[in-house]
Amino acid sequence: MTREFDNHETDTAFDALLEATVDGIIIIDQAGTVLRFNKAAEQMFGYSEAEISGNNVNRLMPEPHHGHHDAYLAQYASTGQGSIIGDGREVAGLKKNGETFPMFLSVGEIKRQGAWRYVGIIRDLTDVQAGREQVRELEEQLFHADRLVILGELTAGIAHEINQPLTAIAAYADAGKRMVNRNSAVSNNEIDSICERIAEQSRRAASVVERLRKLVRSGTVSKGQHEINQIIRNTLLLFEYEVKKLNIDLRFYPLEPLVELYVDEIHIQQIMVNLIKNGIDAIADSGASNGRIEIRVSKLASDVVVSVSDNGPGVPEQYQSQLFDSFFTTKPKGVGLGLSICKTITGAHGGSLTYTESKQGGSTFTLSLPLELIG
Amino acid sequence: MQEPLVCIVDDDEAIREALRLLLYSEGLNSVVFESADAYLAEDISPECMCMLLDIRMPGTDGLELFRILKKQHLAFPVIFITGHGDIPLAVSAIKQGAFDFLAKPFQEGELIRKVKAAIHHFQKNRKALEKRRALKLRVDSCTPREQDVMMLLADGLPNKGIAEALGISPRTVEIHRAHVMEKMNADSLPALVKMITSLGP
Repeated sequence: MTREFDNHETDTAFDALLEATVDGIIIIDQAGTVLRFNKAAEQMFGYSEAEISGNNVNRLMPEPHHGHHDAYLAQYASTGQGSIIGDGREVAGLKKNGETFPMFLSVGEIKRQGAWRYVGIIRDLTDVQAGREQVRELEEQLFHADRLVILGELTAGIAHEINQPLTAIAAYADAGKRMVNRNSAVSNNEIDSICERIAEQSRRAASVVERLRKLVRSGTVSKGQHEINQIIRNTLLLFEYEVKKLNIDLRFYPLEPLVELYVDEIHIQQIMVNLIKNGIDAIADSGASNGRIEIRVSKLASDVVVSVSDNGPGVPEQYQSQLFDSFFTTKPKGVGLGLSICKTITGAHGGSLTYTESKQGGSTFTLSLPLELIG
Repeated sequence: MQEPLVCIVDDDEAIREALRLLLYSEGLNSVVFESADAYLAEDISPECMCMLLDIRMPGTDGLELFRILKKQHLAFPVIFITGHGDIPLAVSAIKQGAFDFLAKPFQEGELIRKVKAAIHHFQKNRKALEKRRALKLRVDSCTPREQDVMMLLADGLPNKGIAEALGISPRTVEIHRAHVMEKMNADSLPALVKMITSLGP
């Protein structure tokens, strides 16, 4: 330590400043040894200045920075590379009691007469992060509510999808009973085959319930590797009945070869459900009897592109710019959140969602998702 | 004698097979079709004694197939298979002449009971239908003029009155009348009147 710095650092005005500031301030030397540790820092980390002074600053960091910090300093001192000086970032801090907390760290450099010091200014982000998490939670609740609303509108179709296997099961069981009661010559093979069919249809019903359970599920986002064609197929199942009822010609052109995306499966399904439902509603409202919906998955450069086209009336030009705005709707009973939620979800996946007029004169929504892993 | 044959038209494979098996357990033969078009391609109607028809199918749906069958004057009974929300549709199908409908899932024994009732109904009325068809063929074998004379006879007009109504001689009416009695295979005027009345307006 040089005199100049000692003089400066013991300056009473400087001490008062350190004392008064609400941000944590830590001054270290080139080796990472703590020289000063202000009151705000004491409160954040739980160490007193006396306790921490003379110790390596890496004591305030969890891994991996704890182990690497000395090397960072050495590298910066010798090459000037790899510093965070002049620019701040969010990192984790390690308290005396072992807890970590989110903080915003900016580092400045003091270089005077050959002696280097670094000043770290720290803002505790615990409250900010809690706020962000709350926003995320509320957002997730909103997504969940949107899924429930759509499922509510699809009840008839869902009932149909469960009713079909149940009908088959009841009929198989009825047949089996009759065969056993009336015909003593019924073979084990026949009974075996009936039981197998009943089991198969039970699994069919269970898989419908499982898919629904997933969509109805609330809670946190979980991304994973999912095959895009399969995500879409799972969604289509919900619409089979409605499509049949309105006599819509729905065609799905899956992507070959198969591609896995790192996505939240339920959120992508939510987008698909919204887009397909919009297409069906558009066709139903127009009263057309030759409704068509085309879902096409393709690969474009480093994106997977899913387009949903209908031959409904399309979106009038004056509404197109508001299409993805919250609370904008043209449906009499709509809330106007579906597409805005889809856009938010798409953004969280690093993708894009756009509207164009379809070749058939209706709407085309194009969902683009990057192939590369997105956090 | 033909074996009773039930035609099952449903786009859901599991339902088709379950129905087929259920009918089989009662000794009833059936054939299954996955769509209305698959059925129409087969030309099996002359053998069909009862049809189980799914009301909702992709492509040509159940109600549409029913209309096609009616146009072809096919008289076998049609039982519609309907889902939960389709009762109003089923009711309108009954009004258009469907024999009955079954809501999914079926109650135990309900399907067998209704199919048997339909086959029984068809077999009972089949003779009457065939008789009616034969009678119509006989009517068709008469010339238009003979048919005119026949209708006026059925209205109770004497030869003279018929001659005046048609502007022909009583002698000519006499000849037409003899031909009508012969072609219709009627041995008396009351027998002829009965035949004409049974055909309805």
